[in-house]
Amino acid sequence: MKLSDQILTANHNLFRNKTRTILTIIAIFIGSFTIVMSSALNAGVNAFIDKQVESIGGDGFIEVFPAAMYDQLAGMMGSGSSKVTEYNPNEGSAITATISKSDLKKMQEVDGVKVLEMFHFLAPEWMTSNNTDKKYSVSLEYFPDSEFTVDLSAGRMTDNNSDENEIIINQNWLEPLGFSSPEDAVGKEVTVAVKETAKCYEDEDNCLETLTGTIVGVQAPGVLTMDGDLHVNKAFDAAIYDISVRNLPKEATKRNDITAVGEVDPEKMSEIREKFRELGFESITIDDAVGMIRTFLDVMVIILDVFGGIALLAAVIGIVNTLFMSVQERTREIGLMKAMGMSNSGVFLSFSLEAILLGFWGSAFGIAASMLIGFFANKIATDTFLADFPTLSLTKFEPLTMLTITAVIMLIAFVAGTLPARRAAKKNPIDALRYE
Amino acid sequence: MKEIIEVRNLTKVYGKKAAAFSALKSVNLKIYEGESVAIVGKSGSGKSTLMHLLALLDTPTQGQVLIDGENASKMKKRKVNKLRSNRFGFVFQQFFMNPNDTVLENVLLPLKIAKVKRSTRKKRAMTALKIVGLEDKAKNKANNLSGGQKQRVCIARAIVNSPKIIFADEPTGNLDSATGDKITDLLFRLNQKGVTLIIVTHDEDLAKLCGRVIRISDGKIISDKRQRAVAPRRPAAKKVPVARKRG
Repeated sequence: MKLSDQILTANHNLFRNKTRTILTIIAIFIGSFTIVMSSALNAGVNAFIDKQVESIGGDGFIEVFPAAMYDQLAGMMGSGSSKVTEYNPNEGSAITATISKSDLKKMQEVDGVKVLEMFHFLAPEWMTSNNTDKKYSVSLEYFPDSEFTVDLSAGRMTDNNSDENEIIINQNWLEPLGFSSPEDAVGKEVTVAVKETAKCYEDEDNCLETLTGTIVGVQAPGVLTMDGDLHVNKAFDAAIYDISVRNLPKEATKRNDITAVGEVDPEKMSEIREKFRELGFESITIDDAVGMIRTFLDVMVIILDVFGGIALLAAVIGIVNTLFMSVQERTREIGLMKAMGMSNSGVFLSFSLEAILLGFWGSAFGIAASMLIGFFANKIATDTFLADFPTLSLTKFEPLTMLTITAVIMLIAFVAGTLPARRAAKKNPIDALRYE
Repeated sequence: MKEIIEVRNLTKVYGKKAAAFSALKSVNLKIYEGESVAIVGKSGSGKSTLMHLLALLDTPTQGQVLIDGENASKMKKRKVNKLRSNRFGFVFQQFFMNPNDTVLENVLLPLKIAKVKRSTRKKRAMTALKIVGLEDKAKNKANNLSGGQKQRVCIARAIVNSPKIIFADEPTGNLDSATGDKITDLLFRLNQKGVTLIIVTHDEDLAKLCGRVIRISDGKIISDKRQRAVAPRRPAAKKVPVARKRG
């Protein structure tokens, strides 16, 4: 028989006993559905986390502190060690430890560090727009990371090469600033007031200076954004910082240099962190931040996959059983086909194909059902409890993954089918025809 | 006359050692192209075993089966399968049809196995059904036919790939005499068109119609008589009309 005939015949034979075949397909369906669902959830949620990670600075994001301060912080939070250390004038105390220019240079030279800059804690007094009379307290930040992107609902990313002051606001800033929509906000101006610290020593009531910046984008709500922190570009960051430290003694501004942020090669992350530690600096990466969420997700996926696997195992036994029954019922037919010149391999193939087709239908229905359920679950979720995260898609169906799952299930079905198929192929035509 | 099948010293033993039973004992036989041969014997005489060996459905314990002068036991499996699908046709007492398939699908089966092109398959199956007078039942379920109709479908199935030899195992065994006669008629019409007919039967009336009667008892041929000349072959209709071979 030609292969196309074999496949058509096998499918036809399968549905000769509809109930039995459908039951077996349902068994495979349960397994494939669970596995497809788990992979889609994994892909969907991970894609979302990845996006969020990007919004903090990507996998290469790193934040560096003097070790002394980090130890102190760790102790404060009740984890790590709050150890008593001898004073070292080069290192400074937990409070006075800073990152000097030369330290920064040393760290910048470590292999794999792409960019590392001093992080400024920007403390503007307030922010407002031309559409409102109210002033709002605000916290701003700038990341030098080239991979740094945020999930935007309108506009574009800030441009660190631009000389203009640029800012990205969060969705929840729209209403206070008097904008009707994200699109409305883009291109509008904000005014930021910054205290010139040195001037305040002389006249406390008259040391505010205002700056304007342009809203270039609006950030979509996300799980991992620190809602208060608005992102500014390098120019805006420098302008604000310059005002706040203008005319201050050097020793005072040095106190600000306690954090550096940057981007490193994610592959070399652990070595880089080790080198920084040797230089006396601790660091925080994205893994520290989202590791927990990922671990939780991984565990959930493993549990689902194990369930799916068990269901498939049961389904495999179903396939073997179905095909053995089929071979038994069709003993005479096998004899007849052999008498008519069908080869052993032809008979083997025809039963193997039935097994493969069972696998195919089971996984195809599994994928179709998961896509359907995934679609509606997403819709319900984004309408209700995930309404704050319009960009979150709970499930993501990657064609390649779906194909792989189908192929693997078909392969498993084939392997299960070899046992009955071999029995059919080995039947002697005479005995088969005599069989009552 | 050309020999189409020859058997030499054919022995078939079932079982082993103490339980061994010789179904055939050193049988020698030549069957010529265009003959109609009845193999007659009581049940257990070895007649079915002989037919199975002739049709290469079984392998002999000893001896040889030669098809067109070629030793079948030395043929590759593929060649044997090809021989069975292209040269042999089978008619069984119990019909052996797929009851839930249509008549047409049942008749098509040998062509599928012989890898005949899809486009020609249906045409040839319909021609075969026409010969047995069942072309109007093509779409019916095989199960819904009467016994005689079923056997006619089986004959259509046997001739659809234009075989040279038809093996019929008690073709009228399950039929009443009137329907049986119709089937017999069909078979002998095919024989007249040049198809070699090998019928296993214990029905003496059927045997009488055959050109040659071989009687078997206890695994041995006890008589081999030509009752009349082999059916005259008409050169123009050497094959059954449907019998257009591929290529």
